[in-house]
Amino acid sequence: MKFSRRTFLAGMGAATAAAVLPKSRAQAAADSSDTYATLIDLSRCDGCSALNTPLCVAACRTKNASRFPEPDPAMLKDYWPKNFHEDWSTRREITYELTPYNWLFVENVYLDIDGKEEQVNIPRRCMHCDNPPCVKLCPFGTAKKDKNGPVYIDPVACFGGAKCRAVCPWNVPQRQAGVGVYTYLDPVPVGGGVMYKCDLCRDLLAEGGIPACMSACPKQAMTIGKKPDIQRHAEELAASYSGYVYGKTEHGGTGTLYVSKIPFEKIDAALMDGINDSKKVMRFHKPDNVMQKHSALVKTALFAPVAGVIGAFAATVSKREDSNDQQ
Amino acid sequence: MTNNKVTRHTRAVRLTHWTVAISGFVLLFSGFGTMPLYARFNINKIPGLSWSGDFLIEQGLHYCAAIIFTAAVFFHLVFHLRRREFAALPKKGDVKESLEIVKAMVTGSPEPPSGKFLAEQRLAYAAIGATSLVLIATGLINLDPAFIQTVTLTHTVATMLFLVLFLLHVGAFLIKANRPLLPSMVTGRVRRNYAEHRHTEWEI
Ligand code: HEM
Ligand code: SF4
Ligand code: SF4
Repeated sequence: MKFSRRTFLAGMGAATAAAVLPKSRAQAAADSSDTYATLIDLSRCDGCSALNTPLCVAACRTKNASRFPEPDPAMLKDYWPKNFHEDWSTRREITYELTPYNWLFVENVYLDIDGKEEQVNIPRRCMHCDNPPCVKLCPFGTAKKDKNGPVYIDPVACFGGAKCRAVCPWNVPQRQAGVGVYTYLDPVPVGGGVMYKCDLCRDLLAEGGIPACMSACPKQAMTIGKKPDIQRHAEELAASYSGYVYGKTEHGGTGTLYVSKIPFEKIDAALMDGINDSKKVMRFHKPDNVMQKHSALVKTALFAPVAGVIGAFAATVSKREDSNDQQ
Repeated sequence: MTNNKVTRHTRAVRLTHWTVAISGFVLLFSGFGTMPLYARFNINKIPGLSWSGDFLIEQGLHYCAAIIFTAAVFFHLVFHLRRREFAALPKKGDVKESLEIVKAMVTGSPEPPSGKFLAEQRLAYAAIGATSLVLIATGLINLDPAFIQTVTLTHTVATMLFLVLFLLHVGAFLIKANRPLLPSMVTGRVRRNYAEHRHTEWEI
């Protein structure tokens, strides 16, 4: 296999190994035309099967521990008029799903491939979409996307209304009650906490580094680079083992490309096997982007001012309307 | 036209008013619907409103109403510009005069003389008009992510303002002095004696 993390870095103009990447990479981040993309090679990931917690997951938790929410116990109460609230603070140890305290997890799925069972391990986190509805639809403008790709949520202004999660096809942002601006509005029943998710370690990227999960991976299953390079490498990699790519066109394009020997439809079917609530699974489906759902209406809306003006001209050429209304 | 009535609103004006009012209401409803407020507050449990918690339905509704609202607002602007009708625009001293009108409503003393529109009507018009233009601008812009934050936040803040103004506007008809104006938005006419009393400077 010609493909390696090294090839990416060479493509980015830095030939040094990822973990000791020099500061010069910061130039790439500064150039706004350079968007990051990541590649996750499922043929490399073994889910750290010998360990309790995969190393990437552990690294992510350590790296972000200081940013995890510390809720005010008095605010850990139900979202009126609902009789529930989302409190993960007593279950911080959970590593098998996305929570406010766990922004990356590894899906393990068993597939029947030509009669023999195969395990597939899939690191899952925010896809850092190209056209992220979570960002575009946040009413408070607190979900943001950096020019160079990372999508993140600013905890300072987040109300925890969870619109971002409602419009995310993978239900990525996770809510913790008892923190954030909504606590100041108590007892007015609005908001519900703060939403948390992977931010692609944008702080490390800005320093010229790479995400914590990636440098922790002993198999080098995850790589980051400039989008065109990553896309090319993903396609070459897929071709090298007649595999498949997920994330390039899905949801209007994402910043995360999965490459697998097994078709993603099969993986998705296996993930969904025996599950009746599709929201409980982080899928490999082909979701529509809600930003594109009503694109015809959006285009029409852009012409609405013109329609109004034309109508006004039409209505004012008629003398009759003019003469029966003098003020 | 009967003699004891005077024309206040032409058909085009009434049509525009109701188009803006209805689409404005739908925009408020669906805008909050996309937030998504109705699932949270169990509005979607009310019979007949189960759809209200569905994001895509609310978004489609918001966009449809936005098209109508925007077209109507632009129609209104150009229509009156072409006809040189500017009576509804605020004038100098309107703030002071509105306070006097409010005082008159409370104390029952005579109101200061008015033209076609009262000073407070002119101010209300300017406020709701400006807010609407902000909502249209921020709604139509789909800028790149660096700007989108300011745009969406402005849209949300302007919504709150719009909601307050909308309620004040509807609430104004709880006040007896304003009620003779109500039929005029349906029939276009008000009683002559009302107009002569309250809008002394209106050249009917
Ligand atoms: C009376 C006028 C309006 C009101 C009260 C209103 C209210 C709202 C509210 C509450 C939201 C959700 C919070 C947010 O994202 O800021 C929203 C979102 C939005 N509005 Fe409006 N709006 C109005 C007019 C318009 C117009 C005229 C347009 C477009 C021409 C528009 C386009 C949008 C868009 C694109 C969104 C983003 C959410 C989505 O796409 O679902 N709005 N509006
Ligand atoms: S995966 Fe979800 S949270 Fe991440 S950028 Fe896409 S829509 Fe937003
Ligand atoms: S990029 Fe950073 S925040 Fe995101 S999963 Fe990896 S370590 Fe966690």
